[in-house]
Amino acid sequence: MSKTSSAARPPPPMPTSKDDIVNTWNYLEWGVDRLMYSLKDGVDLKTYMSLYTSIHNFCTAQKAVTQHTSLSSNHRGAHLLGEELYHRLNDYLKRHLAGVHSEMVKHSDEALLTFYIKEWKRYTTAGTYNNHLFKYLNRHWVKREMDEGKKDIYDIYTLHLVRWKDDMFGTTQNAVMGAVLRLVEKLRNGETIEHSKVKDVVASFVSLGIDEADSTKPTLDVYRLCFEKPYLEATSKYYEAESAQFLAENSVVDYMKKAEKRLDEEKERVSLFLLQEIMQPLMKTCEQALIAKHAGVMRDEFQVLLDNDREEDMARMYKLLARIPEGLDPLRSRFEAHVRRAGHLAVEKVADQGDNLDPKAYVDALLEVHAQYAALVKNAFTGESEFVRSLDNACREYVNRNKVTQKNSTRSPELLAKHADNVLKRSTKATEEDDMEQMLNQVMTVFKYIEDKDVFQKFYSKTLAKRLVNGTSASPDAETSMISKLKDASGFEYTNKLQRMFQDMQTSKDLNQAYDEWRNEHIDAEDRKNDIDAYYQVLGTGFWPLQPPGTTFVPPNEIVKTYERFQTFYSNKHAGRKLTWLWHLCKGEIRANYVKMGKVPYTFQVSTYQMAILLMFNDSDTVSYDDIANVTMLQKETLDPSLGIMLKAKVLTAKPDGAPAQSGTSYTLNHDFKNKKVKVNLNVAIKAEQKQEAEDTHKTIEEDRKMLMQSAIVRIMKSRKQIKHAQLVSETIAQIRSRFSPKVPDIKKCIDILLEKEYLERLEGDELGYLA
Amino acid sequence: MAGEGEQMVKLVSSDQVEIPVERKVAERSMLIKNMIEDLGAPGEEPIPIMNVSEPVLRKVLEWCTHHKNDPAPTQDDDADSRKKTTDIEDWDQKFMQVDQEMLFEIILAANYMDIKALLDVGCKTVANMIKGKSPEEIRKTFNIQNDFTPEEEDQIRRENEWAEDR
Repeated sequence: MSKTSSAARPPPPMPTSKDDIVNTWNYLEWGVDRLMYSLKDGVDLKTYMSLYTSIHNFCTAQKAVTQHTSLSSNHRGAHLLGEELYHRLNDYLKRHLAGVHSEMVKHSDEALLTFYIKEWKRYTTAGTYNNHLFKYLNRHWVKREMDEGKKDIYDIYTLHLVRWKDDMFGTTQNAVMGAVLRLVEKLRNGETIEHSKVKDVVASFVSLGIDEADSTKPTLDVYRLCFEKPYLEATSKYYEAESAQFLAENSVVDYMKKAEKRLDEEKERVSLFLLQEIMQPLMKTCEQALIAKHAGVMRDEFQVLLDNDREEDMARMYKLLARIPEGLDPLRSRFEAHVRRAGHLAVEKVADQGDNLDPKAYVDALLEVHAQYAALVKNAFTGESEFVRSLDNACREYVNRNKVTQKNSTRSPELLAKHADNVLKRSTKATEEDDMEQMLNQVMTVFKYIEDKDVFQKFYSKTLAKRLVNGTSASPDAETSMISKLKDASGFEYTNKLQRMFQDMQTSKDLNQAYDEWRNEHIDAEDRKNDIDAYYQVLGTGFWPLQPPGTTFVPPNEIVKTYERFQTFYSNKHAGRKLTWLWHLCKGEIRANYVKMGKVPYTFQVSTYQMAILLMFNDSDTVSYDDIANVTMLQKETLDPSLGIMLKAKVLTAKPDGAPAQSGTSYTLNHDFKNKKVKVNLNVAIKAEQKQEAEDTHKTIEEDRKMLMQSAIVRIMKSRKQIKHAQLVSETIAQIRSRFSPKVPDIKKCIDILLEKEYLERLEGDELGYLA
Repeated sequence: MAGEGEQMVKLVSSDQVEIPVERKVAERSMLIKNMIEDLGAPGEEPIPIMNVSEPVLRKVLEWCTHHKNDPAPTQDDDADSRKKTTDIEDWDQKFMQVDQEMLFEIILAANYMDIKALLDVGCKTVANMIKGKSPEEIRKTFNIQNDFTPEEEDQIRRENEWAEDR
């Protein structure tokens, strides 16, 4: 059969006899030929209708014959005609494809593709027409056959596909696919190609997916096997070769850019000419070839990038490695180690200041490293939670264990608390509210990493107490803000005492007011004049980290009446409460009428002890050391420094000149006293005292820890009654970890103490029992 | 501008009478719908409906006009609607009140033109004519000559006993 002649031949007459298969097919074959070969010349309505009608007529003819067979036939109901037409069409398609196939083998590469696509389109278009023209056959004979379970009968369009698949596809698809892959390779090499060619081939392969079991359901099997698989293989091969070569000639940083570009390109190509289904396996293939194969090289480069702060490149590396499974784990551990190193280095730089280490410099050093790498995590690693965790691990490490904490493991919380004190203390330059909030947040940033949170609590409550008692707090708002931050971070119990201290201050304010009212009511005006203006703070013993005075003391007569009156008032108000006077925390002002600056007398701000000493000079300009010691009853350790400050400020002069504070020395009031300011502060904290205080605090921390561990142990035992030794230790650690990291030997010691006190007993097999 | 459905097409009956009709109406016939799909809108070119005479074609188009806005039949329509026995909506019932010859012509035309809904209505109408009738009555209704021998008839009756209404 030659197609040129068949297309040109004039139409045979439309069959006149309905059941004449020869004439009917003769006519139909002419029509199908026209659709197949010269559709572009158009098909007129009449021809179309004639073809349809002749099929209809053939299928509805032969009534006599069917009636005859219907009773004995195993068909249900009427016998349907059309089998003959179906098989003749099938044969026609076979012949047609044989012709196409013999033409096709003459072509190769792009020409082959062009040919394949042209023939495919011609064939499937004709198939669509035929499907409509043979609709009557589809509706009746084909439907019946399929309903009866015949697997090798298809509707007319599917018949076209099946023929193509069996007679064309099997023997040509390798060549077609080869041509497709060469085309795509050209594209990858930077040439321009006709996307539609690949797209058409994909569409053709997809169409050929006919489910063997149910021909009405499409499957992607053919496409998967014949297109997707070789496509992925070629992709993998191409990029493995390319990336190996590129890396051999270029830097890792450049390679990452290249890989990123390649991945984007491949992704884009899917929507241009591939099936969306290929996206996932294709990306996986590309990732394997472009990233996973070179993950080691990239990771090695990571340290270099970290050292040089190449944020953008690190972001690129992160994005690439994030695409492969477990790609980031090694990056995270490197990152963690790097941050830890950076933290240690930063601390070392400030560590040579020794004991005089400036808390601010230390905290700033800690914060600087954190801020730098927190920004890196956010910008380069998209704030990914695992990297945040690595950062936290590293920070916790260098905050708690560095050169400064080497000798004393609790230095970090101590310095942080001191820094917080400096921030919250009233200073010469006013701090803006926003700045204050920011600084407090920075304190909290470090606080988060502190392991010995109990130490911080101790020092913080000490400094808070001082700020409150001395009224040196910069802003009550900032104080409450800080407390609520701590509460958010470590819970109610952690800040309970801090809050109570705050409350006491408020209560004291109300109390002073009530006292004023009480005095107005109960004391007559004359008497009131003798009182000294005073302000009282009543502080709950359990909440304030304050110690009773370390020295004996006899308050000066001048104030005795005043404070005793308050004491009366207070015990009336709260029967049964005991007031202890914390003289060492009290202070006052004394006006020096004997020496003036111009017309204004100087005012000395003094401690109660100094006040007692100075008041003695009301009676005599010169007082001996022994007299002072006898009258005030102050012990030497307190008396000497108190005197020392006044000597240094030249309020008093010693006789003999420069004599040490001891029996035999006497002191004279200096009438020629001069100072730049009218108010002179003599109530200066003493260095030795501060150091002593820090040491005391550390000591109390040890005590408190023991208590904390013991109470935890008892709590656990109370609920468990009986427990293995090892388990008790580990549960105790778990309970206490939020405050500090307890050491196992310490816990064991605490268990021994409790055994001795007979709260616990030893049972058999390393078990411990609880004795109520 | 008129929408696709409002375009007019010309149908030509087997006896060469031209009947203009809305494209949307004509497309109730799957044959015409597919053809337009394949060949494009016919414009002035008449569409020959070779197996249908003018009166029947007009009758069919009357039905199509009435049903032109019905939702297009879906694939699985088949199973459902066909089983719904012999229910016919009122308009269709009235439409089918024609002489027997016309009824059969309509059925044949619907089959030829591939108008499934109309074919169903036609067949249901015939089914309703058979329902509840004895073989003799059925023969009378459709003017069928009994060409069975009494023996043959007896055999058939026995074979189909299970289907009797009892």
